[in-house]
Amino acid sequence: MIATDAAVAALQQALAAENSAVYGYSVAGAHLAGARRAAAVRNWVGHQNARDALTAMLAARGAQPVAAAAVYELPFPVHTAAAAAGLVTLLEDRLSAAYLGLVGLADLALRAFGARAVRAAALRAATWRRGTLAFPGLDVPAPPAPGPASQGSGSPAPSGQGHGKPTPSPPG
Amino acid sequence: MARDATRRGVLTAAAAALPLVAAGCKGIAALGTPPKPAPDVTVAADAIAVEAQLIARYGDVLAANPALAPTLRPLLAHHHEHLARLRARLIVPVGGQPLPTPRATPRPTGQVPGTHGAALGYLRDAEDAASGALLTHLATAPPSLAQLLASISASEATHALILGTAARHS
Repeated sequence: MIATDAAVAALQQALAAENSAVYGYSVAGAHLAGARRAAAVRNWVGHQNARDALTAMLAARGAQPVAAAAVYELPFPVHTAAAAAGLVTLLEDRLSAAYLGLVGLADLALRAFGARAVRAAALRAATWRRGTLAFPGLDVPAPPAPGPASQGSGSPAPSGQGHGKPTPSPPG
Repeated sequence: MARDATRRGVLTAAAAALPLVAAGCKGIAALGTPPKPAPDVTVAADAIAVEAQLIARYGDVLAANPALAPTLRPLLAHHHEHLARLRARLIVPVGGQPLPTPRATPRPTGQVPGTHGAALGYLRDAEDAASGALLTHLATAPPSLAQLLASISASEATHALILGTAARHS
């Protein structure tokens, strides 16, 4: 198979999003308890597996997989369970957007792979936010404004204000 | 003054161009049958039919179970957003055929379950089916429409999740 630049770029975006999700879940898990902690651990393992799968897919295409950063800058302080849930919700939203990039490719296998991953990320995000979005991956809500942490169980986030291409934020 | 003169000049030029445009149109019409709708028009029309049917089902359930409104209204609002976004994709070519007839099956009547749990389960199943139906066009849709379909399909999967949870707790 000819690895197009577009396919490699989209896979790298997905891998970068998975790398930041692995980091983010490890931070969030420390602030969660009970069933939510168990869910965070499950998802953390799942994202490690997804990261490994994407790494292999890139290697098979002769590309050098993007490396994970040692530390990522968090979009807001995470000291409470609510903030932890908000963080992983945001990470899953960003994963939806990254995997949607694969759905725009000409390679039909990657399209189908991307669509499954968008669905999986949207389902995890819905579990964390206890709500749904109209356009997962397309209209990604902005991170919550700094201040008192929200309950994380609110109404569906407003759509129509696409947050552009969300990128994880490795240290500068 | 100078601006007026310019505008007049533009108008004159436009008027001079008009007969040519009209002749061009006639020429296209004379070629024969109008073009078939582009594949993406067919795909979008199919997806619109899926959304319209879901909206109708929500309407039926809400009519029979008004107490479910707080749970269902936010999800229904998403479907109206889906419908609007899909309709915006429908740009029928000039001289093209009218939109393909939606292949929606006739809406089942009298099938809305009466209990809340069963009604929520009914909508959960409808969302699941719609989520799958939208993905059947993934391979043939142009890239941006494929992304829209995948996003809406994922949204409907999350609706099914929320409805299933609500059904278990009702």
